[in-house]
Amino acid sequence: MSVGIPAAAASRGVPAIGSSLRRARPVALPIATAAATLLLWQFTAVRLQISAVILPAPVEIAHELWRALPVLISQAGPTALDTLLAFAVAAILGVGLAVIITYSPLLRDTLYPNLVFFQLVPKVALAPLFVIWLGFGSTSRVAFAAFISFFPVVIAAAVGFAGTDPAALQLCRSLTASEWRCFMLVRFPFALPAIFSGFKVAMTMAVVGVIIGEFISSQAGLGHYILNAGSRLNTADVFAALGVLCALGVGLYGAVALAELCIRRVYGRH
Amino acid sequence: MAFLNTSEAAANGRLLRLVILPVGFALATIALWQILCQALHIPPVLLPPPSDVWTVLRGNYAILFDETLPTLNESIASFIVASVLGVGLAIALTFSAWVREALYPNIIMFQLIPKIALAPLFIVWLGVGETTSIVVAVFIAFFPIVVSSVTGLVSAKPEVLRLCQSLTASEWQAFRMVRFPYAVPYIFAGMKVGVTMAMIGVVVGEFITAQHGLGYIIMFAAGASETATVLAAIVLLCVIGLGLYGIVGLAEWLALRSYGGAMPISGVI
Amino acid sequence: MISVGTPLPAPRDSSMSIAKVRPCLEASGVRKVYGAGTAAAVEAVSTVSFTVPHGQFVAILGPSGCGKSTLLMMVGGLETVSSGSIIVNGEAMTGPRTSIGIMFQDPTLLPWKSALDNVLFPVRVLKRSMDDYRQTAYGLLQQVGLDGFEHKRPHELSGGMRQRVAICRTLVYDPEVLLMDEPFSALDAISRDEMNELLLDLWQQFTKTALFVTHSIREAVLLADRVLVMTKRPATIVEDLAIPFARPRSIALGENRKFNEICRHLRERIEAGHDRPQALRRGTAIRRREPAT
Repeated sequence: MSVGIPAAAASRGVPAIGSSLRRARPVALPIATAAATLLLWQFTAVRLQISAVILPAPVEIAHELWRALPVLISQAGPTALDTLLAFAVAAILGVGLAVIITYSPLLRDTLYPNLVFFQLVPKVALAPLFVIWLGFGSTSRVAFAAFISFFPVVIAAAVGFAGTDPAALQLCRSLTASEWRCFMLVRFPFALPAIFSGFKVAMTMAVVGVIIGEFISSQAGLGHYILNAGSRLNTADVFAALGVLCALGVGLYGAVALAELCIRRVYGRH
Repeated sequence: MAFLNTSEAAANGRLLRLVILPVGFALATIALWQILCQALHIPPVLLPPPSDVWTVLRGNYAILFDETLPTLNESIASFIVASVLGVGLAIALTFSAWVREALYPNIIMFQLIPKIALAPLFIVWLGVGETTSIVVAVFIAFFPIVVSSVTGLVSAKPEVLRLCQSLTASEWQAFRMVRFPYAVPYIFAGMKVGVTMAMIGVVVGEFITAQHGLGYIIMFAAGASETATVLAAIVLLCVIGLGLYGIVGLAEWLALRSYGGAMPISGVI
Repeated sequence: MISVGTPLPAPRDSSMSIAKVRPCLEASGVRKVYGAGTAAAVEAVSTVSFTVPHGQFVAILGPSGCGKSTLLMMVGGLETVSSGSIIVNGEAMTGPRTSIGIMFQDPTLLPWKSALDNVLFPVRVLKRSMDDYRQTAYGLLQQVGLDGFEHKRPHELSGGMRQRVAICRTLVYDPEVLLMDEPFSALDAISRDEMNELLLDLWQQFTKTALFVTHSIREAVLLADRVLVMTKRPATIVEDLAIPFARPRSIALGENRKFNEICRHLRERIEAGHDRPQALRRGTAIRRREPAT
């Protein structure tokens, strides 16, 4: 819009309350909506005397959460650990394979379509297979979770590496930099946004993978706890455990986002 | 698979290579699998050879087909419901800025929750039956569709909307003739993710409720150490999954011939 | 302050006398302030008044950010005036009108529609019969040199061709007033010259009142009957110059001596109201280097 002299009359007088409220709206409104929903829930559950089996009131859930907190945290431990391990494996293998694919057209043409194909099939169905192969312990869960989070990382990283601005690469080569230097200085930084978006999906998938693994094979972890509480119809417990699980999921996702911020600060934003 | 540059490859005659290499690789892997199983005498409980899997598929054709139907039907049903609800909510969110600002961030937050973990909750509420599987699947598939559709519906460039305004077009006209067509690629991108999610929801539902369907077969056979059956069921699930995805992809191709501006930039999946 | 130069040329339809008929467009004391009443208020347009008789082509010329686009949007009813009034064809502007056609810098064609369907887009919006207008659309596309391209999609057309489709789209429903906001600014120099010639040719046939916003002095003088010069601070009209060249005009007018004198005059007028960086003030840097000969 055009620039002009600020209107003289407006420089004094009306304080800008209206504008700061307007700026806070995008944050305040969703929070207010969530809070209002919780209040409505509490009110309905109490007023209509809904059975605690169907829909426990938020207050009751908070109560249960507080009561069972030590147990929940001890259960969250294995889940978190498995997730981190699975994510690490998926991230390293995924980026590694993406690098290989980028530099070998033969492997790229051979493997990439298969990877995309695998991304589309319901890999969940293989969870029991991992149990058959690796037993009922943590290994099968970690392997399965790594398996399903591996694909988003490879695909995202491969797209990221391939999507480097060709002009930047040509510049690098014209300065007689080695292929490795070109990679570290140009391809990798350019691909970081894509890699991190793949990481975020992978982290979410890793949690899902571990949970599903715990559903079908575990005697410990939050997934097992939830299933167990559900079968005992202890709904408040289920909600409490879900709350902890959400916190865990958000926390892990946030860790990836935070890592992204730090690394992007090193490599520069673009 | 834009990054493989299929159109350029077709122009260069490399298209054949692009098909033969991956397919050849897959077939080679299967052949290797068969050979290794027989050569290394791997116990069939651990990894049956492809020939065993094929035997199971041919031998138990009827039973497998009976169990495939519920999974297929539930997947389709949940996908349709999730799409209708998702696109519907997205349209509602487009029309009211207030509602959008109140609900959309909450929806995004919900994306971060491992929604599959709510499956036991749905079992508590709805019992052990096919409704539960469908509801879980709808719940999981709904969110990517909404997020994608909203992104698309607000993606129409302000200049085009200003053009509509200058022609005294009503909000509804601007929506029907401009906003919605611009959103079609995004809606389909969301639906492609949604159809995969719906299948996952159905299968996991079948895992833990163990009533019917291919998920049930997998759990049952795994418990009985019938690995060949497990693999056979997995193969059928893959076929359904690809088939459904392919149908959505086909619909997308048809729709994009009539609609849609630039394809959305897809970084992942 | 408006300074009236030579008398305005007669409107194209000479059966009307100026005195008898109400002008097509009357702007009085138009002012636009963004964020009025807050500390960050910005005056985009500062008290502009002018009238435009029917059938006159007026160019609004000025540097970037002088408020000319805002002024045009107000005339078109897409922005509200903070004070003052704009009256078009006897009625005050309160919102967009179908008797006014607006062309923007971005052709904004719908990517999934063919050129012909894009031209017919206003007809769909206005819910008029498509069949009635189809012939018109074909005719317009032929006139701008796009026959054979009616069924091409926008991505198959060059920037200049897309803008030509946009011209047809603006003309298809026969608005009385045309507002054009730097429609050719995004084109390369050669395409821009072609479009200027095209507009001159079209202008021979359509008796429409037009406001054409541009920051190109030559374009303004070539196309217009009258040039209004706007400056940035204050954002108002500082000169109202009549352009004395008869129509039909061609691009060759650019070599005419009088044409270039007018351009120079306008350039000086713009520079006078324009802050320029120290080093570019005419003569200073150059004189220091070259010894006097």
